[in-house]
Amino acid sequence: MEFVTPTAEELSYLRADPLLWEQELDVRPDVAEDIEKALGFRAGRAYWRSEHDHLYALELADTGHGRPSQATVYGFWERYEPRPPEHEIDADLFKFLLWFAGQTKSLDPADIELTATFAQRQTGGVRLTWLEGSILRTPDERFSNLPGFHYTPRYTEIEGLRMAYVEAGEGDPILMLHGEPTWGYIYRKMVPVLSQVGRVVVPDLIGFGRSDKPVEDNAYSYKAHCRWIRKFILALDLKNITLICQDWGGLIGLRVVSQLPDRFRRIVPMNTGIPNGYGMSEAFMAWRRFSQRQTFLDLRIGSGTLTPEEQNAYRAPFPSAAYQTAGLVFPRLVPIRPDHPGAYDNRVAIEKLRTLEIPALPIAGENDPITSGAVHFLRSIFKNVAPVVTIKNAGHFIQEDAGEEVAKRIVEWMKNGTA
Amino acid sequence: MPRELKPKPAWMKPVFPWEQHALTVNGRTMAYIDEGQREGRPVLLLHGNPTWGFLYRDFVEPLKKAGYRAIVPDWIGAGFSDKPRIDSRYTLAHHIADLVSLMDQLKLRGFVIVGQDWGGPQGVGAALQRVERLSALIMMNTWLFTGLVGRFHASPRPWTTWHAPLIAQFFMKRHKVLSQAGPTLTSKKGLTQTEARAYHYIYDEPESDHIVLTWPRTIPMKEGDRGFADMLHIEKRLPELKDIPTLLLWAPEDNVFTIEYAQRMKELLPNAEGPILFDKAAHFLQDDRGPDLAKSSIDFLNRTVGAAIKG
Repeated sequence: MEFVTPTAEELSYLRADPLLWEQELDVRPDVAEDIEKALGFRAGRAYWRSEHDHLYALELADTGHGRPSQATVYGFWERYEPRPPEHEIDADLFKFLLWFAGQTKSLDPADIELTATFAQRQTGGVRLTWLEGSILRTPDERFSNLPGFHYTPRYTEIEGLRMAYVEAGEGDPILMLHGEPTWGYIYRKMVPVLSQVGRVVVPDLIGFGRSDKPVEDNAYSYKAHCRWIRKFILALDLKNITLICQDWGGLIGLRVVSQLPDRFRRIVPMNTGIPNGYGMSEAFMAWRRFSQRQTFLDLRIGSGTLTPEEQNAYRAPFPSAAYQTAGLVFPRLVPIRPDHPGAYDNRVAIEKLRTLEIPALPIAGENDPITSGAVHFLRSIFKNVAPVVTIKNAGHFIQEDAGEEVAKRIVEWMKNGTA
Repeated sequence: MPRELKPKPAWMKPVFPWEQHALTVNGRTMAYIDEGQREGRPVLLLHGNPTWGFLYRDFVEPLKKAGYRAIVPDWIGAGFSDKPRIDSRYTLAHHIADLVSLMDQLKLRGFVIVGQDWGGPQGVGAALQRVERLSALIMMNTWLFTGLVGRFHASPRPWTTWHAPLIAQFFMKRHKVLSQAGPTLTSKKGLTQTEARAYHYIYDEPESDHIVLTWPRTIPMKEGDRGFADMLHIEKRLPELKDIPTLLLWAPEDNVFTIEYAQRMKELLPNAEGPILFDKAAHFLQDDRGPDLAKSSIDFLNRTVGAAIKG
C-alpha cells in the first residue's frame, strides 16, 4: 500500500469518519508489533488513497503499553456531501485488511478472503459491488429514433457500471465529453467533421445517455465522475487525446487532464471551467437554485428550435425522474465555495495544468451567461493557449447551436495551430 | 437501581413470552427471566456466544410444570442486558463475578447450573464460588479446561482470523457475520423467521454486539491468553464437584465442541452421567432439540435432587 501525506488544507475540508476501532489492538501483541514495524511508528497516522479516490487513515495510539495498543481506521468524506456508497467503503476496507494481514506473521490474507466468502452467503454480508436494484438501465428501445446520431453504441464496464460510447473515424482519439443534462447525442453535428481527422470517441457520463444510472444520490460525486472518465480512458487505452468538452464535460475532463497529463495532446474547453471556489457567475447560481428545486429536468437544449424527434432524443435517457439522479445532483456538486473539497481538488488540478505545455483552444458561446466569465480565467491557466474563439449566436449548448462551425474551427486549429 | 430494560418487541412475545427482570450486577444491568414457583429448585440456564436467553425457550415451561424455578439470565454484553463497549469488561472473571452477584442477590439455594458454550465455564466458575449452594450440573457442548483445543478453535481458517484485530471489527461489527449468521446458519433443524429475528434483533444496534467479538478473543488456548489462568483455576477445582450430580448432554455433530470435549469432561468429572447423545443437532443444540433436552434434564433432576429444596 502506498501511503500519502495530505496537506493540512485538504484535511480541513474533509470530515473524518471512524470506520473500524480497535480498543485493545494488543489483544494480539504479535500483530501490534508487526504493524508497528510495518508503519515505522507506534503512534501516529498513515494515510492512503483507495482505488475509489477516497482518503483513509490508520491511526495508531499507544495507551501506555509501550506498543501500539489502539487502532482506528478513518474514512475522510466531503464535508457537505453524503457518505459514498457503502460497497465502495467495504471494498476499500477489505483491501486494507488484506494489506494489514500481509504485514503480520500470524495472519494470512487468504483467510480474510475465505471469511468474506463465508460472509457473502448471508444477507447483509460483505458486499463489494452495487446493491441489486440500485442501478437503472434505460431500455434500448428509447434510443430507436435518434435523428443524426446513427452510430452503434459500444460498451465498457467501469466499476460494475456499463458505460456507453460511440466511435467514428480513425487515428488519434478525439474525446468528446458532454455535460448537464445532455448526453453524447449533443455532439452529433460535430462527429462527422471531426471523424475526418481522428478517431472520435463520445462517451455518455455515468447517469446519462445509454450509460448505467445508479439511483442513489451518494453514488455521484465530482470525484466519482472524474474517476469513471479516468478509468474509461485507461480501459480504452486512449493516448494522444484531443479533449473536446463542454459544461460538466470540462469540469471533469480538465481535472482528468491534470491526473493523466501524458495522455492528452490538445484541449478544447467550450463553455466550461474548472471552478476553484471563487466567483461563480450569477447565472450559474440562479441555475443552481432553480435546478435544486426541481424533481425532473426537461430543458430545452440549444437556442434554436429542435424538431420533436430531436427533443425526444434528449429525453430518451430519462423515462422517469428515477433515471435522472445524476442530472439532478450535478448542479449541487459544482464547488461554489473555497472550502468545498472539490474546489480544493480543482486548485490542485489548476496548479498542475499551469505547468503543462498541452495546447489549448478555449471556445465560448457569445450568449452563454453561465460560463462566459470563466473563459478568461480558464485561458489564464494554460501556458500554450490560443486566443478565445467566440461563436456568434451560440448559447450554452454550443454544440447544438453551432456544432458544425465549432467543429470546423477545431479542425482548422488542429491543422494549423490557429482557429 | 437497574435501568429500565428495552421493551420486548410485539413480534417476539409469541416465541418468548416471559417477563424480563433487571438487577444491577457490578454496576451493570443484567436482564433475566425468573419463572416458576419461588420455592422450587432454581435452575440457572446459561447461554453462550452469540446467543441470549432465547436459546432456552423450550426449557422454561417444562421446568415450571415439573415444579422448578427457571432463571435465564442474559450475560452482561448480551441479550437485553447492558452492553458496555469496554474490551476488558468481558473476561471470564467478569462474567463469573456477574453471575455470582445475581445468585447472591436472588438468594439462590440448592441451585442447578445448566450451561452450553460459554455458559459452561462461566456457570461452573460462578458455582465454584458458591459451591455450598450448588446441587446439580448439566453441561451441554462446552468445556471447563485448558489443554484441549479443538480443530475449530485452533484453525486460522477462519476462526482466529475472524476475531483478529481490526479484521474482527470489519467482519463482526461492520458486517455482523457471527451475530447474524451464527445460530441461523448452524441450525440443523432450521430456525423460523421469527426465531432467526430474535437472535438478530438483540445485536442489531451499532456497537451492541461487542461481546460477540470479545468472547472468541478470550478463548484460552495457550498460557498467557486472556482468561487462561481463570480457566485453569476452574479445571483444578473440578474435583471438588465429585459429589455433585452431573449430567452431560451432547450433540456429537457440533464441530466446535466435538465428542472429544465430552470425553475430556468425563475424565475430569468421572461421576458424571452420560454423555447422552443427541443427533440432528449442532452447536446450538437447544435450538435443534430443545424439548428433548429439557425432558432429559428434568428426568435427571427428578431422579437426583428433585424439585423441592429440603431444609
